[in-house]
Amino acid sequence: MEPHPVIDVQSLRKQYGEHVVLDDVTLQVAEGEVAAVIGPSGAGKSTMLRCLNLLEKPDGGRFRVQDTTIDASAPIRPKDVKQLRRSLGMVFQSFNLFPHLTVLRNVALPQERVLGRSRAEAEARGMELLERVGLADKPAQYPSRCSGGQQQRIAIARALALDPEVMLFDEPTSSLDPELGLEVLAVMRELATEGMTMVVVTHEMQFARDVSDHLIVMAHGGIIEQGKPEQIFSDPHHARTRRFLRAVLDR
Amino acid sequence: MTPEVLLSILQGLPTTLVLTAGALALGALGGIPLVLLRRSPVALIRLPVRLLIEVLRGIPPIVWLFLIFFGLPSLGVRLGPLTAGILGMGAISAAYLAEIYRGGLAAVNQGQYEASMALGMSTPDMMSRIVGPQVVRVSVPAVATYGIGLLKDSSIAFTIGVNEMLYFASSESRATTDAIGPFLTVAAVYILLSVLSAWGARTLNARLRRRVAR
Amino acid sequence: MTVLSEWGTYFPQLLQGLLVSLRLAAISLGVGIPIGLALAIANGSGGRVVRSVAVVLVEIGRGMPALVMLQLVYFGLPSLGVSFASFTAAALGLTLTTAAYTSEIIRGGLQSVPAGEVEAAEALNMSRFDTLRFIVIPQGMRVAVPSLMGFSILIFQGTALAYTIALPELLATAYSIGSSTFRYLSVLTLAGFMYVAITVPMSMLTERVELRLSRHL
Repeated sequence: MEPHPVIDVQSLRKQYGEHVVLDDVTLQVAEGEVAAVIGPSGAGKSTMLRCLNLLEKPDGGRFRVQDTTIDASAPIRPKDVKQLRRSLGMVFQSFNLFPHLTVLRNVALPQERVLGRSRAEAEARGMELLERVGLADKPAQYPSRCSGGQQQRIAIARALALDPEVMLFDEPTSSLDPELGLEVLAVMRELATEGMTMVVVTHEMQFARDVSDHLIVMAHGGIIEQGKPEQIFSDPHHARTRRFLRAVLDR
Repeated sequence: MTPEVLLSILQGLPTTLVLTAGALALGALGGIPLVLLRRSPVALIRLPVRLLIEVLRGIPPIVWLFLIFFGLPSLGVRLGPLTAGILGMGAISAAYLAEIYRGGLAAVNQGQYEASMALGMSTPDMMSRIVGPQVVRVSVPAVATYGIGLLKDSSIAFTIGVNEMLYFASSESRATTDAIGPFLTVAAVYILLSVLSAWGARTLNARLRRRVAR
Repeated sequence: MTVLSEWGTYFPQLLQGLLVSLRLAAISLGVGIPIGLALAIANGSGGRVVRSVAVVLVEIGRGMPALVMLQLVYFGLPSLGVSFASFTAAALGLTLTTAAYTSEIIRGGLQSVPAGEVEAAEALNMSRFDTLRFIVIPQGMRVAVPSLMGFSILIFQGTALAYTIALPELLATAYSIGSSTFRYLSVLTLAGFMYVAITVPMSMLTERVELRLSRHL
């Protein structure tokens, strides 16, 4: 482990009423590392990711992202929430673009409102990022006119535009046809090689094996195994991991 | 706000209820031929009926009541205020309910018609036994909402001298020094009635839903 | 005198009345809808106290017949030392009714904005106010437009209730011509046509807007 990880999660717990969805989750992500989170559905992967930017409020444990520490046992100050989200970009399974805004406005508006950039500045930066995700020809379109893969790449550009230090991906290709998923994965691969710190909840085993530096296997709200992906893929320690990998790889 | 004022206003409650129920019943029945003719394949039937519905809905209720109560006598038709109120509100309701039924008819699956025809049912049988009940079922919430609106709109009949609740509130207001109390009281009664009937409508709807699981 | 020439003599006066009706409707909607929006926001995202106050106001406004509202404002309030001219009283009454009803319509519109978009705005660190202003309200209002247009037709019809508080709008004008000529049927029919001339095109327009919006969603 790195001496000073970018993300440091200690004993995170989350429950809905009696139902515990996250239990004693502890993990670290180093700078520039790509962490892939895999596991059967209902394992708590998305909940874990959503706790990291406080879209869900954790019920126990604490975590730190860069210089912001969130302790579930203490009241969370709005200032800390802002600072936390400032360093995190989030990409959702369902894209969640703003359908009434053009592609470019989707990418520019948050910059203007959150970072106080001028419209010209925000749109210039937006164009730069749209180009980077291969959509330089789309700025004036509305999201509904774009394919799912294009929409997800726009969502990535929108998040990148706020200059986050870590990108969180919540099953970014799960609602896409396999072919369209590939263009999204290509963008993510490129981000990874450029050194972006990433946490990716995914069902794409190929991506997890080839791109990630750190594999986290979750089941029943807890981490059952984590480490180097090549080691886990070739020789999983845990029987549950073995069963899961066999089920997804033998398809 | 005194008990005497409340009692005086409540004298008008039976009339308010008769007026509302009468107009709603008239509208519920009258809406059926209107919607059937409105859907006629013959343009010469469909278009005039559509125009009629638009005109019934397009003229304010109070103007309809005036037309019936003050206008019709010149054609030799003299109606008492309550009759005029029920007829006028009933005719308007028929137009609104026809549109609600139209939405309900559109909601019935095309397959239901095809199945009925494939089974060799006659058109009247199909409409009354298969399609009709389903339309009633999906229309209930909208009809109930309309009925609650009608309860409040029935106060308009006060303007042609129907002695419903607002009529008594207004005369109490003029008769005493407390001009605002009677209006606040009658407002409270209306609010209570609409809350109660909204609750009743929800219960009815829930019960229907349980019986006709969809 | 034929009906048509009779109508010709009534028309100029009735037109004056119609303009009063239209002005009353425009003011009631112009002031009432923004209040309705504020109530809808208070109802959807305010604290517990704000929300309860908004709910109670809306229930009162919707539970009370518009006619009772007008009577209360015009005949009732003076006993508390507040009196209004009939136009102001009518505008006040219809504005309150508009606010209560449209707040429910708008709330429905705001709720139709997918929760995921609000979440995305949150994750992008946008403030709650910015999220409302740039994401929720523009889309929610768009959804609400056909219902708001439908309601506007009802409020325009509701201006006829101001006849009861001595406002010389269309119905009052027609009635006063009727009471001096005893040609009630004729003059009220013309007034009815004048109402229809506004409401029917409006409702056709509403239908078209509804169709267009539904095609784009």
